[in-house]
Amino acid sequence: MAGILIKNAFVIDPLSGIKGEVMDIAINNGKIVEEAPSGAEVIDAAGCLTLPGGIDSHSHVCGTKVNFGRYMSPEDMRAGRTARKGVMHVTSGYSVPTTFGNSYRYSTMGYTTILEGAMAPLEARHTHEEFTATPHQDMLANTLFDGNWSIMEAVREKDTRRAAAVVAWVLAAAKGFAIKLTNPGGTEAWGWGEDVQSVHDPVPKFGVTPAEIISTMIRANEILNLPHSVHLHCNNLGVPGNYQTTLDTIDLAPDLNSERQSLYLTHVQFHSYGGSTWRDICSKSEDITRAVNNRPQVVMDMGQIMFGRTTTMTADGPMEFKLYMLHHNKWSNHDVELETGSGIIPVYYGRKSLVNCVMWSIGLELALLTRNPWQCLLSTDSPNGAPFVKYPEIIALLMSRRFRENERRMIDPRTEHFVPLFAIERELDWYEIAVMTRAAQAKALGITRIGKGYLAPGAEADVAIFPLRPDNVDPSVDYQQVMAGFSRTRYTIKRGRVVARDGEVVVEGANSTIWTKAHVPDAYDMGLDPEFRKKFEQYYTVRMTNYPVQDVYLPRGVRIETEAQL
Amino acid sequence: MRVILKTRPREKPRVPIEAEEIIPQNFLRKDDITVFLGNKERSLDDLFFVTIEGPAVSPDQVEVVLTGDTGVIKRVGEYMNAGRIIIEGDIGMHCGNFMSAGEIIIRGNADSWLGREMRGGRILCEGNAGHYCAAGYRGEKRGMRGGMVEVKGNAGDFAAEYLSGGEVVIHGNCGDLAGVEMRGGTLVIGGDCARPCGNMTGGTCMVFGKASQFLPTFRANGSQEVEYAGKRYRMNLFRGDVANRGKGTLMVRA
Amino acid sequence: MKIEDVVCPFCGCLCDDLVVEVEGTKVVNVENGCTLANEKFMGDHRLNAPIRRAGEGWEEVSYNEAIEETAAILLDADRPLLYGWSGTFGEAQSVGVHLAELLGAVIDNTSTVCHGPSIMAIQEVGHPGCTLGQVKNRADVVVYWAANPIEAHPRHMSRYTTFCDGFFVKSAFRERKVIVVDVRETDSSQVADEFVKVNPGGDYAVLSALRAIVRGKRDLIPLSVEGVSREQLFRVADLCMSAKFGAIFFGVGLTMAQGKYKNIRNAIELTEELNRHTKFTISPMRGHWNVYGSNEVFTWITGYPYAVDFARGIAFYNPGETTSVDVLRRGECDACLVVASDPGAHFPRACAEHLAHIPTVQIDPHVNATTHLSRIQIPVAVTGIDAEGTAYRMDGVPIRTRRLFFGNYPDDLEVLEKIYRIVREARG
Repeated sequence: MAGILIKNAFVIDPLSGIKGEVMDIAINNGKIVEEAPSGAEVIDAAGCLTLPGGIDSHSHVCGTKVNFGRYMSPEDMRAGRTARKGVMHVTSGYSVPTTFGNSYRYSTMGYTTILEGAMAPLEARHTHEEFTATPHQDMLANTLFDGNWSIMEAVREKDTRRAAAVVAWVLAAAKGFAIKLTNPGGTEAWGWGEDVQSVHDPVPKFGVTPAEIISTMIRANEILNLPHSVHLHCNNLGVPGNYQTTLDTIDLAPDLNSERQSLYLTHVQFHSYGGSTWRDICSKSEDITRAVNNRPQVVMDMGQIMFGRTTTMTADGPMEFKLYMLHHNKWSNHDVELETGSGIIPVYYGRKSLVNCVMWSIGLELALLTRNPWQCLLSTDSPNGAPFVKYPEIIALLMSRRFRENERRMIDPRTEHFVPLFAIERELDWYEIAVMTRAAQAKALGITRIGKGYLAPGAEADVAIFPLRPDNVDPSVDYQQVMAGFSRTRYTIKRGRVVARDGEVVVEGANSTIWTKAHVPDAYDMGLDPEFRKKFEQYYTVRMTNYPVQDVYLPRGVRIETEAQL
Repeated sequence: MRVILKTRPREKPRVPIEAEEIIPQNFLRKDDITVFLGNKERSLDDLFFVTIEGPAVSPDQVEVVLTGDTGVIKRVGEYMNAGRIIIEGDIGMHCGNFMSAGEIIIRGNADSWLGREMRGGRILCEGNAGHYCAAGYRGEKRGMRGGMVEVKGNAGDFAAEYLSGGEVVIHGNCGDLAGVEMRGGTLVIGGDCARPCGNMTGGTCMVFGKASQFLPTFRANGSQEVEYAGKRYRMNLFRGDVANRGKGTLMVRA
Repeated sequence: MKIEDVVCPFCGCLCDDLVVEVEGTKVVNVENGCTLANEKFMGDHRLNAPIRRAGEGWEEVSYNEAIEETAAILLDADRPLLYGWSGTFGEAQSVGVHLAELLGAVIDNTSTVCHGPSIMAIQEVGHPGCTLGQVKNRADVVVYWAANPIEAHPRHMSRYTTFCDGFFVKSAFRERKVIVVDVRETDSSQVADEFVKVNPGGDYAVLSALRAIVRGKRDLIPLSVEGVSREQLFRVADLCMSAKFGAIFFGVGLTMAQGKYKNIRNAIELTEELNRHTKFTISPMRGHWNVYGSNEVFTWITGYPYAVDFARGIAFYNPGETTSVDVLRRGECDACLVVASDPGAHFPRACAEHLAHIPTVQIDPHVNATTHLSRIQIPVAVTGIDAEGTAYRMDGVPIRTRRLFFGNYPDDLEVLEKIYRIVREARG
């Protein structure tokens, strides 16, 4: 690799404190360096916006549930089909594209790292297989612990250390990255067709509450020194009045880590509803952002919805069934023994639906009312709120009040009585967008340690150059241009190689899978624990030796190692 | 304008041809129409003797006539929105898919998926139609939404599956599960059929022959007289399918 | 050498607790397996080398020659069909799909002749399912509909249902009710608490009646529906509605009966209806050990689980049109590659005749009915014995099969990659 020299780049690199400077960036051997090697390819950025490669900290792109979304939706596949072209494979699908479809579309938008939002450990091998078929992004997997029997037993025994030990074993076995709790306790209750209604509602037959699970796991996470915090999908998703549950959850978050948050709340839009029924649902974004503004230990992502057709998919099985009862389209559910659940239904978010208009407003409000952009990251919980290809439009909405006002005329006119959105004047700037789409993700996930999310020498050379010149684009007016610019990079560079140019992928990918290995003393090695082993063989339907994901599934695995304080 | 397309002899006559570009409007403005023979793209001239007679200024003045060995040609008339296509013999699958206006006349038989997800216009098939006549796309919740499909002969299984609007008339017999998942529109079956309208939630189906294996989940709801092909018939009325929401109407000749 | 926790590459149960004894390149003993597993491991008689038809007989050829000729046949075709895939591992299936993409071929797996209709039904109404451990640990009612596990999936009942104790069901045999629905008595119906005998072709009507009952429309139900009395229908509905966790398993008896996928759809909608009262799941009893894997691999690459047509470059899917039985019956395809399955034994006669008529190449370890229709056969290692890779159990759980010894055969992946490289070179 001869290296690359990017000249005249308008760089915003928040983690390095660069807020918009025209400068050169040198790349050699896949890293950012001080000086480009001789013979380096020169790219003239001509003053265009240049950012670290995009990082999506919560998206559903690979694994059992995502693939089932494809499997059950030939009608989604027929939208967005492309033939094989150059190095690009065939793609299909709009809201749940094929793996190559996801990878190419993310790449042409400048994204180089994606965290898969939910992986059941029992089915981890599947997620990793799809990771290798998503070749243009480095991949990480949130690992589901919300209904894990061993965890709930440890919680019942108030044994945080044992909970930590279980996490360490499962993460290593599943080659997972972080702890994900999806409707903690609720997915186990769903094994009986039930759900939990608040953080203090006990889980049937286990006698623990979601609050206890969340608190224990936050502490277990810090015992293991994991790079990311607990990644939480709160209870009561999508239920009118659920903001109270979300506030109760935020109250559970201690401040335990000086480097990053102690609790990551995902797709908070779906958790910020007031009212008591679908008729009087209203925005509680002000209450939620007030709580978050006062607690630096909490970071959230938006979970913005955008109008149109999409597919919802989550480990939150009971929620999907409730949604099915509203939509009556089609419904899939997949409970995973001893671990978690999942559900999938297609939905249509309409501008004529007041409920959908309120939801749309809430997501934007969260981003606009959170003072510190490092605490509210841009996401759609893709594809739940909308497929990720809608990110540029969301960026444009956040940067332009005029755009929001134009949209206001298109949606249900009653919306403004239920939401504060149209009173908000704030327009985000380029720097804030850069924070919300890459830098804050890198910090929240704890992957700056492996060179992600910034452009200083030593960083991974993941770079996105957009066809936007901040010196002559006024985002509050030229929002169409902003949208177009963020949809298609001029160059996407991944680990020092140009992978996409002007909307087309130009090389075959070679991504890495990033996972976490927490080292624990032998006394806490669950692989040696007789009780754990016995229950495993008794209640799982696979043998314990066949459970761990073999190294062969991670051809370019990157292992983040930590020492547990046990 | 009249466009006559006569098939040339082919080395492998059973390899299907996909010809969605054969729609009237394309002959007004395109001279590079291509079709696929299996996995190879070919020009129209490679596979057809093309004769064009007379002028046209708008697509509705264009009439396309297909003759020869046309039974494996798929997608003729797909997305058509004006003009007329006449097929002198049989036609392959997906004829008139998604068409929104215009007319297709088939003198022979039509293979499966005739008028799939049709929005408007008219299809007349003088012979028999295959399975899924006037039905939907896999996984889609609505099938045909408007227009008219008329089959003089018989239709195969799943005729008018997911019918949501428009009218489907089969003068002969239907196979199994005609009108299954129906949610709107009108289905008329002149002959016999089996298990009509399973799981229907809306729309009206009339059966003027015998309905065998009648499903147990339809509720008798009186009778009325209906006219069909110039004669009046006394029909038994049913509401169903109560296995589902049961808002459809099924009439069977008394 | 004894190897523990071996994964059985026979049926969709994908049992992973076998103990297999190996001497050199031969399996000498199998413990924990069913009779089908034993036969698979012990009765393994391979073809020695690639063979090519020569006049009335066969000649042995080198792997390279067989592979080059296969690639040439595929490159020459206007409508090639790549069929099978359920008997090989995911990594090989994946190369197969990319090969189809390059060739503009139709690629299809054995779902076409087993649970394809289940997939079509799922595409209409979804699939409320679960992993098998969920049934083992929780279910107090299990329904086998048109499935005979004792014969087709011999360990299904002992590993996951009737005879398998679980966390919340301490004594399965006593606490778990088993309902069997079928058109005839079977070994499985013998062990049922309730046997429902349905007239052939009557499943759809019986399922509709049960849905109506669960919806509270008992008054409408006639005295008998397709041979099942109203009393029994009510009893079955009550059993299901009062279950704490119910699980329906259905077999090809339902997918291949009159109405095909509409039967499955009706069964799924019954399951959805039951979920308004209690917890219920439904699962197909998948046949081949990795047929579900082929569905998964096809889906993440093409968007569709089977029957994918790349003739136009993009992926197109339409069972009834792009399914291999239909492509063959209509005589469309002009070359065929069969991988890890035996269409000669399972396809209708007209399809087999067409296979014999066109250049057909088979990649398979064993001589089988398809051999007699083929021009070339390339023997490969047997996945789960001397090759390894990913398989997906009938419930979607991915398990890595094991290689028990290193033999002398290349595996499917190696052979397919070589064909792929030649085709790629030619197509640019």
